[in-house]
Amino acid sequence: MQPFDYFSPKTLPEAVEILSRHNGDARVVAGGTDLLLKMKGGRLAPKAIVNIKRLAELRGISETSNSKLQTPNYHLPITTIGALTTLEELRRSPIIRERYPSLCDAANTMASVQIRNLATVGGNMCNAAPSADLAPIFIALDASAVIAGPGGERRVPLEEFFVGPGKTVLESGELLASLEAPPPVGPSLYLKHSPRAHMDIAVVGVGLAAQLSGGVCESARIVLGAVAPVPLRVRRAEAELIGGPFSAERIDRAAKIAAEEAQPIDDVRGAVWYRRKMVEVLVRRGLTAIGGIEN
Amino acid sequence: MPKFHLSLTVNGEARELLIDPRRTLLDVLRDELDLRGAHRGCDSGDCGACTVLLDGKPITSCMILAADCDGSTVTTVEGITPAGGLHPVQKALVEKGGIQCGFCTPGMVMAAIGLLNENPNPTEHDVREGLAGNLCRCTGYKKIVEAVLSVEESKA
Amino acid sequence: MIGQRIPKLDAPDKATGRTVYGHDVRLPGMLHGRIKYSKHAHARVVRVDVSRALKLPGVKTIVTADDNPPTMFGYGKDNTPLKGQVVRSLRDEVAAVAAVDADTAEEALSLIEVEYEPLTAVFTPEEALKEGAPLIHAEHGSNYFTRYRYSHGTLEAGERESDVTVEADFELPYVAHAAMETSVVVAAFDHRGHLTLYSTTQIPFLLQRDLSEALGMEGSEIRIIQTAIGGAFGRGLDIYPFEPIAALLARKAGKPVRISFSRYEEFLAAPVRQPAKVHVRAGATREGMITFRDAYALLDIGAYVSWGSVTPLVMMETTASLYRIPHSRFAADCVYTNNPITGAVRGYGNPQSTFFVETMMDRLAVALDMDPVDFRVRNANRPNEETPQGLIITSCGLKECLEAVAARADTARQKDEGKTMKDRPHPSSFIPHPSKKRGIGFAATLNVGGGARIYRSDGCGATVKVDDFGHVSLVTGSTEIGQGSETVLAQIVAEVLGVNVEDVNVLNSDTDVKPWDVGVHASRTTFIAGNAAHIAALDARRQLFETAAEMLKTTPDDLIAKDGHVVAKVSGKSAELGKVARARHYREGGQVILGEGWYDPPTKLVDKDTYKGNISATYGFGAQMAEVEVDTDTGKVRVLRLVCANDVGRAINPMAVEGQIEGGAQMGLGYALTEEVIVEKGRVMNPDFLDYRLFTTADMPEIETVIIETDDPQGPFGAKGVGEMGGTPTAAAIANAIHDAVGVWMTTVPMTPERVLKALMEKENL
Repeated sequence: MQPFDYFSPKTLPEAVEILSRHNGDARVVAGGTDLLLKMKGGRLAPKAIVNIKRLAELRGISETSNSKLQTPNYHLPITTIGALTTLEELRRSPIIRERYPSLCDAANTMASVQIRNLATVGGNMCNAAPSADLAPIFIALDASAVIAGPGGERRVPLEEFFVGPGKTVLESGELLASLEAPPPVGPSLYLKHSPRAHMDIAVVGVGLAAQLSGGVCESARIVLGAVAPVPLRVRRAEAELIGGPFSAERIDRAAKIAAEEAQPIDDVRGAVWYRRKMVEVLVRRGLTAIGGIEN
Repeated sequence: MPKFHLSLTVNGEARELLIDPRRTLLDVLRDELDLRGAHRGCDSGDCGACTVLLDGKPITSCMILAADCDGSTVTTVEGITPAGGLHPVQKALVEKGGIQCGFCTPGMVMAAIGLLNENPNPTEHDVREGLAGNLCRCTGYKKIVEAVLSVEESKA
Repeated sequence: MIGQRIPKLDAPDKATGRTVYGHDVRLPGMLHGRIKYSKHAHARVVRVDVSRALKLPGVKTIVTADDNPPTMFGYGKDNTPLKGQVVRSLRDEVAAVAAVDADTAEEALSLIEVEYEPLTAVFTPEEALKEGAPLIHAEHGSNYFTRYRYSHGTLEAGERESDVTVEADFELPYVAHAAMETSVVVAAFDHRGHLTLYSTTQIPFLLQRDLSEALGMEGSEIRIIQTAIGGAFGRGLDIYPFEPIAALLARKAGKPVRISFSRYEEFLAAPVRQPAKVHVRAGATREGMITFRDAYALLDIGAYVSWGSVTPLVMMETTASLYRIPHSRFAADCVYTNNPITGAVRGYGNPQSTFFVETMMDRLAVALDMDPVDFRVRNANRPNEETPQGLIITSCGLKECLEAVAARADTARQKDEGKTMKDRPHPSSFIPHPSKKRGIGFAATLNVGGGARIYRSDGCGATVKVDDFGHVSLVTGSTEIGQGSETVLAQIVAEVLGVNVEDVNVLNSDTDVKPWDVGVHASRTTFIAGNAAHIAALDARRQLFETAAEMLKTTPDDLIAKDGHVVAKVSGKSAELGKVARARHYREGGQVILGEGWYDPPTKLVDKDTYKGNISATYGFGAQMAEVEVDTDTGKVRVLRLVCANDVGRAINPMAVEGQIEGGAQMGLGYALTEEVIVEKGRVMNPDFLDYRLFTTADMPEIETVIIETDDPQGPFGAKGVGEMGGTPTAAAIANAIHDAVGVWMTTVPMTPERVLKALMEKENL
């Protein structure tokens, strides 16, 4: 590991100032589980490390009343998930469990309890691995990223947060403060295909959310992980479902279209053909489960 | 590179150290504090042999910079071992045959204690989930799971 | 004492973190050694410049091929500690640094400049055998290292007698030991220039000899101290270059040097199980009797020879002697390539050969429309028979093992769908789907159970001392690698001397102290070291009885050893062991109680031309039943239940026996479904536990072990070895269960979701 300067700011402005000063050569560490791995492997050698774990404003899961959004279930609050929330805190949070159980499912598939006690929601986003388990489901839930920076706070739909493997829209001096999830519009689900129950990176991950009304699909979001440079919304597949009956035939077509839209690569975790096939299988299974459709 | 002044409470004792900021918690425990019960099996958070409790929660000590633990409380296998005796989890592992080469054992002990602290009456499923981050190449885990479940039984 | 579930004697120290492993050794002034590996799979080394690295503060010394002694070492005498002329694989050691700390050593490596002239490399045995292929070792003259040709009976007759024949090609992968502790060594020299090596080796005495060649020293100048060993599984069965490199660094620096592998380095540079391509044919009569079995294996042994090149001896044994085989042929070619070195891994060729032999058995059973267990029982080896290969089978519980797992399979069939389904964390597995199909499969195994004579001596020595306090010390040549040999040997000695097992201290870690042993391998320790300890304990007891007879005014044959005393059967009078020892010691012409034992089994090296001969004093048998669920949409196979029955002669410690079988099953499950070292152009593509996937607690099926006792006539208290068998038949049982579930024959492992789905799709397209 290359030497680095170590900072442990106590306030958000202080953290932003340190990051700005280093002009891209500083790295934020929260849980550190992804960052340390890259540094130990020599794939990353930042000049400075900024530990943000003392920033109280980045902690916790809270609810704020929903006055602006005109979404279904608008009577429910917006949920804010601090970037420093650990995966284990997310998994065990009563609020998350009640409102977004699919997030608990996603967190539950990730690594081990030891890693989940360290790794944070913000870290899983900012590491921007194409296979990040939380990204597809957060995007399916229409979450936004709240970004703090020298110019104050800005919000970006999470869907637009990822730019490429390891790359996000965060600019020099900025850091991810929290994620905001609107009230759920309907059932959601995260499905992951991996050889083992735990400790594995997704071969394919699928985040799904749908709004159903009297057997008709009002809206649907289908987001794929590990099959493109960034978490991928498959809009053609979504369009196949929206506005029509949520039937086995339409689900099947949507699943096939999703597989076409995927852009997987070959690597040690899976071949292109197999990943496409798994997209189809998981999308079909997930939508079938969401629709409560008998097979 | 300036040294980092680290304050830690380790096994109930306050420690002050000057460390290289690159050191992980595992490095500091093994090399600075002479606590070698936490083992380095992979150095990438995949095997669990270095598991300790950080502020009461099980973590892989290889995957956190020691500097990030400043002000925290760390409990290692040395800290839970009573003088001249064994912790109930250790005793159960010994008696049920859950130990062979033993390299994974201290990490397994700490992960099991972390699990039982959160959930004193785990099911077999809970134990298998809770220990999924601790690899063992010798035992096939069966006797380890039995041992952890027996701790719960004896408490009840 | 015998037959009791006694906890391991070393377990409390392991549970509390007190045990000292290789990574825990710290000697005064110790330096950190790091190795610079080759950048090319095959290249000429033009220049190695260490001058910049030497100037780095904290660097104490650097060694290169210039520091090698003029001798070659290794099984094929084709290796040197460091490589100077040619590098033959990406794991080739070009230079090594000793520095004050690990960071400095690491930085120094980056300052060593090496200029290469790349050579054409070959990455498959087929390429290596092509006309005009580059020679990996020019002095060897060919890329063939060895060729094995075995036969008994005549294949023509076998074919003629067959009503059905089956034929298939198999491809078997690289597999890692994946011991939880990575390779580590500490080398230190004393003022005489003698070397002490702290090592995790499984062969301390052979390592003495091997190191003497690698370092140009006398064996008597080398002392091996074995630290606690954090898993071995065959990794420690040979000398590997990092060991002499540590010694060269320590000698040059004048300070102790430790080299400890990172996990990445472990995957890169530790030996692996050799991949093989195998073609197999087998036949049977309409009545269900096997007629012949014929196999050819092409093995990639990598760039240097290690024990991986000898595994055909074991593959041959499974091919020619598992079940009664009237006609058999086995051929194997071991070929050099520019790939990783292959060594011994638990089972030593047997997981591979059992996979192809036992899936071929099911193909025959299907072709005959016969129950797979009945077919096996009909052909099973029986007690007291000699196989055509010359294996002398004495105790044999193969039939009983098969029947035991079959009996438990019936209950598996009756269980309704939901019941054995465990709650799984994966939401995808919560979703019930008609695409999930269930099946059961069986496989058996034959393994050496009393050593395997692959060296001139297959012996082990032991001494048993009873001191003035009545305390017992067993000094044994054998090695504890976690399997529990210390405890089992202590039980044997305690049984003979009538003491508690806790009163027996086992010393087994220092070549300057312990008598010779060939090493811990081939499921031999309980049998061979057990017999040696038994003999030594009997000798010590004879001495105790001699003196006690005088004290108790009786004859030795009236005496028994019980509860720490020598007791006269007739009078009931007794004397405490310490008192007897003192009486013998403190008198004119006094003696101490010191029993000696040496056991070398009545076996032979196989004939070098015919490969026939009785290699082991006894053979172990086992059978497994796997119940699986195959997801036909994803190809994912979940093992729901694994039943393992093993003939262990007699279980001296049933808990330890179960531990061997359950642990073996974990390796067998990984071999079957998830574990593969993926090597592309000589490079390991998955050098971590994230992508080299061991089964975790959450992945394990329900495992049931059944111990079959056959009371071996030559084993200590009837025991024979079990160390390797636990994982040997697992992959075949699972493959057979997959066939039962969905009708495809898998011919490669691991049977990953992708491979299974591909096989299913190919079947659909037929």
